[in-house]
Amino acid sequence: MQLTVNGHQYEVHGEVGTTLAEALREELSLTGTKIACGEGHCGACTVLVDDEPVLSCITLVHAVDGARVTTIEGLRDHPMIDAFVRSDALQCGFCTPGQIVSAVALVESEPAPTTEQIRHAMAGNLCRCGAYPKIEEAIRTWQG
Amino acid sequence: MELRRASSTTFDGLPVHGGTEVVPLLRAGLLRTDTLVDIRGVVPRDIAPGRIGAGATLAQLECDPGIPEVLREACRLAASPQLRNMGSLAGNLLQSTRCWYWRLGWPCRLHRVANGYGDECFARDGEHREHAIFANDYCASAHPSDVAAALLALDARLRTTARELPVAELYRLPTEADRRTTTLEPGEVILEVTFDECDQSVYLKAMERKRWAFPLVGVAAARRGAKTRVALAGVAPVPWLLSGELDSATPLPRNAYKVDVARALVKRARATIGA
Ligand SMILES: Cc1cc2nc3c(=O)[nH]c(=O)nc-3n(C[C@H](O)[C@H](O)[C@H](O)COP(=O)(O)OP(=O)(O)OC[C@H]3O[C@@H](n4cnc5c(N)ncnc54)[C@H](O)[C@@H]3O)c2cc1C
Ligand code: SF4
Ligand code: FES
Ligand code: FES
Repeated sequence: MQLTVNGHQYEVHGEVGTTLAEALREELSLTGTKIACGEGHCGACTVLVDDEPVLSCITLVHAVDGARVTTIEGLRDHPMIDAFVRSDALQCGFCTPGQIVSAVALVESEPAPTTEQIRHAMAGNLCRCGAYPKIEEAIRTWQG
Repeated sequence: MELRRASSTTFDGLPVHGGTEVVPLLRAGLLRTDTLVDIRGVVPRDIAPGRIGAGATLAQLECDPGIPEVLREACRLAASPQLRNMGSLAGNLLQSTRCWYWRLGWPCRLHRVANGYGDECFARDGEHREHAIFANDYCASAHPSDVAAALLALDARLRTTARELPVAELYRLPTEADRRTTTLEPGEVILEVTFDECDQSVYLKAMERKRWAFPLVGVAAARRGAKTRVALAGVAPVPWLLSGELDSATPLPRNAYKVDVARALVKRARATIGA
């Protein structure tokens, strides 16, 4: 099957049942996407499929045959990365790729989100280190 | 296992829409199949007044101004943004119990074992803080769908490939003779949900934290003229239509708090919609 990840075309061979997260990490070596809970609870594995944030740990790779996937590696040049660094919006960093993917999806549709909008859109990304106030600050100030 | 794309609503295999239920259950070994059938191409997902395609995502519903408040708010407060982007209305109605004994594969009354089904409810004597306060004598699971409670309050109807039915009739309490919790037949696909307009409606949800948690108690209420329907999530093995008050609840030793929470939310919901 065919997968377009960050603008590049890939051929994926995993058997049916393989998740998108496993295919990205193991077959394509795109290890920026993290797997923590592996069952849809934490948001660490968030990627964009056709521009919408979804959980790659419970998405079958065969179900996104032909879709456009964006991972944290594809957001290298997005100003949200600098915003997270400026606001010191992480501690251990394990949740950060998922946080940034969700944050980018939010500001692409709502460039100046309110606190309420930030909290609603980011509710599916848990941070065990509790960096939430800084994450919120990064998203509020991402435009510099 | 193979994954096919459905080309019509008649097929052999296990239907999968967003997969947010199917994939975790397959991976946990609680669901098995040789053939998964991706039904996204054949289940409608458009939204019109009083009519919703069963393939609409919760994300579509949470921001559509034409949707009654009770259903919009139930969707907005369900799961997480990513899950709402993925999960469909029909899949939400058909989600399995979140009972932790069931999810961990304990051989309880709702699980098949070598020669039939398990014969115990582990939750009744075990950890049941989040379990049912109504109809909990055989299986004490608490139905987790906010959306189903909202549709029950709206007295919505479902259209499937086989029949039309009130949403209440999609569900059944499991019994010794028949452990199923829904009436959906193999091969039957839910296509559409319809409902009449209401004057006012509301959804209130008590959860462990402000966002992104299953309902401890969800209260859906819809009023048409002088008639109000109140339906609850998280209080019985099926979405629960409240008749009368909460006095008939039969809480377990460690979940009586749910009766108080439900009573307060029902009162608040009725006041909000002028019932
Ligand atoms: C971590 C987590 C938290 C959640 N929190 C909440 C919450 O707070 N409140 C709440 O209400 N829900 C909650 N949910 C449930 C979530 O909304 C559902 O998992 C989702 O809507 C299911 O839709 P789906 O399309 O992904 O279903 P799938 O996984 O694709 O399917 C689920 C079931 O429905 C069947 N099916 C799907 N579509 C049809 C159809 N059209 N006809 C016949 N059968 C069909 C499938 O065969 C399967 O048995 C949560 C889920 C998860 C994983
Ligand atoms: S509550 Fe129901 S699902 Fe949970 S252990 Fe008891 S019988 Fe099983
Ligand atoms: S790893 Fe996917 S949601 Fe936790
Ligand atoms: S920074 Fe450690 S989990 Fe979020």
